[in-house]
Amino acid sequence: MTTYATLEDIENCMNNGWTDGLPVIPPYGSLVDEMLDAMGWQAHDIVGEIASQNIVVRAEKAAATAVMAGCKPEYGSLLRALTDGLLDPLLNLSGAEVTTGGAAILVIVSGPVVEELGFEHRANALGANCRANATVGRFAQMMRYFCGRGGGVLQSHGTIGHPGRISFCIAEHPKTEWGSYHTQYGLPEDASAVSLMSTEGPNSINNHYGDTGAQILDTIGDCMCHFGQTAWYYRSGGFVVVIPPDHMALVAKDFSRDQAREYIYENARRQTDQLAKVGRIAKAPIEFAEVEPGVLRSPLKNPEQLTFIECGGDGGRFSAVIPRWVGSTHAVCKQVV
Amino acid sequence: MTQPSNEGPGNGGSNPPARQLTSCGDVSCELLVDPIPRPTPDPIKVTLKPRVAKVTFVDHHKPNSKLIMEYAQSVLRERGIEVNDEILIKADASVRMPEAMLQSLSGEGGLVLCGISD
Repeated sequence: MTTYATLEDIENCMNNGWTDGLPVIPPYGSLVDEMLDAMGWQAHDIVGEIASQNIVVRAEKAAATAVMAGCKPEYGSLLRALTDGLLDPLLNLSGAEVTTGGAAILVIVSGPVVEELGFEHRANALGANCRANATVGRFAQMMRYFCGRGGGVLQSHGTIGHPGRISFCIAEHPKTEWGSYHTQYGLPEDASAVSLMSTEGPNSINNHYGDTGAQILDTIGDCMCHFGQTAWYYRSGGFVVVIPPDHMALVAKDFSRDQAREYIYENARRQTDQLAKVGRIAKAPIEFAEVEPGVLRSPLKNPEQLTFIECGGDGGRFSAVIPRWVGSTHAVCKQVV
Repeated sequence: MTQPSNEGPGNGGSNPPARQLTSCGDVSCELLVDPIPRPTPDPIKVTLKPRVAKVTFVDHHKPNSKLIMEYAQSVLRERGIEVNDEILIKADASVRMPEAMLQSLSGEGGLVLCGISD
């Protein structure tokens, strides 16, 4: 039976290391060819390099990974932009894979492509049971896993990791209060884009009884300031703030995006000496960390390290903060064309 | 069904993934496309026993790493092991050390202890 053979193929992929831990679609040559066409590449086109590991990545590797993750060929243009972003040296894919920080690659999809490809941007936006979100997010993690480990030479050392290392893709509402997410990286409002960064898992924020934008932003800022936030010492990454409609209605009434960013930067702070006392600042700080004893310290080096995405369902006054991995010094934003 | 072309299962955390798999259904066999890019040059060679009994430390700025390395230096000296006084600096834990530093250390023949984790 052909079906039985396919199940055997899936098992063999898993038994031989061609997997992220979940069953995969076997990367049959015919399926990979179809995906290559959709992505607009030839099999041997070089689509990126991981110079630190002496690895050249050719298009057929990305296309095979897209097939295995369950992506549809219709996602081809988006997957091409996503591949470009994943292999952009600024993203530091190999670093994200092997770090003790257990980072995942967060994929943010914004613009008209959200509705064109059927991404879920409302209910459970950070963990949607929707093929587009699940498989595109999975593709990004599989690329991290397959490419970042140097072909199996390196090992992953994440101390605890988080569930986003299987799939982590968020789509933004097509209509937003503050403008599309990618406008924060200089792309035009009407573009479609994928934005990538390596992150820790999302921290949920609950405020059902606040009735001003400032109260919501104070709650978000307080979450960014708990002792355990990785950002306290290096401050090299920043945070993504996820604001669903109910919180957004309050915040947008009183703040523009730039005002909200500035408000959190100015108000979300913690006493540096307190941080040092609990061991969140090194005893002999490096110059880069810019540690100033006695002053209130922001977990952000500058306001630009804070970005906002508008997504999530109506009803329920929740938001979320997603801390970026400490080695995530750059986010990468690519237009889908 | 799929046939692996290299030896042994590759599903363990430390085993490299298979380089080639073939699918044989009812009608024909089809090669599966390997999704995993591999390094192009020879694998890195690691020598566990140094030619010279001398230890050099390389720091890459993890918290408190310099304190730990200085402590390790003193412990090694107490045990009669020659230790390079200078702790070399590598800018970032996630990238290779500069080529000039690598070549210099390779030429010395001693043991290099690079980096302290979190």
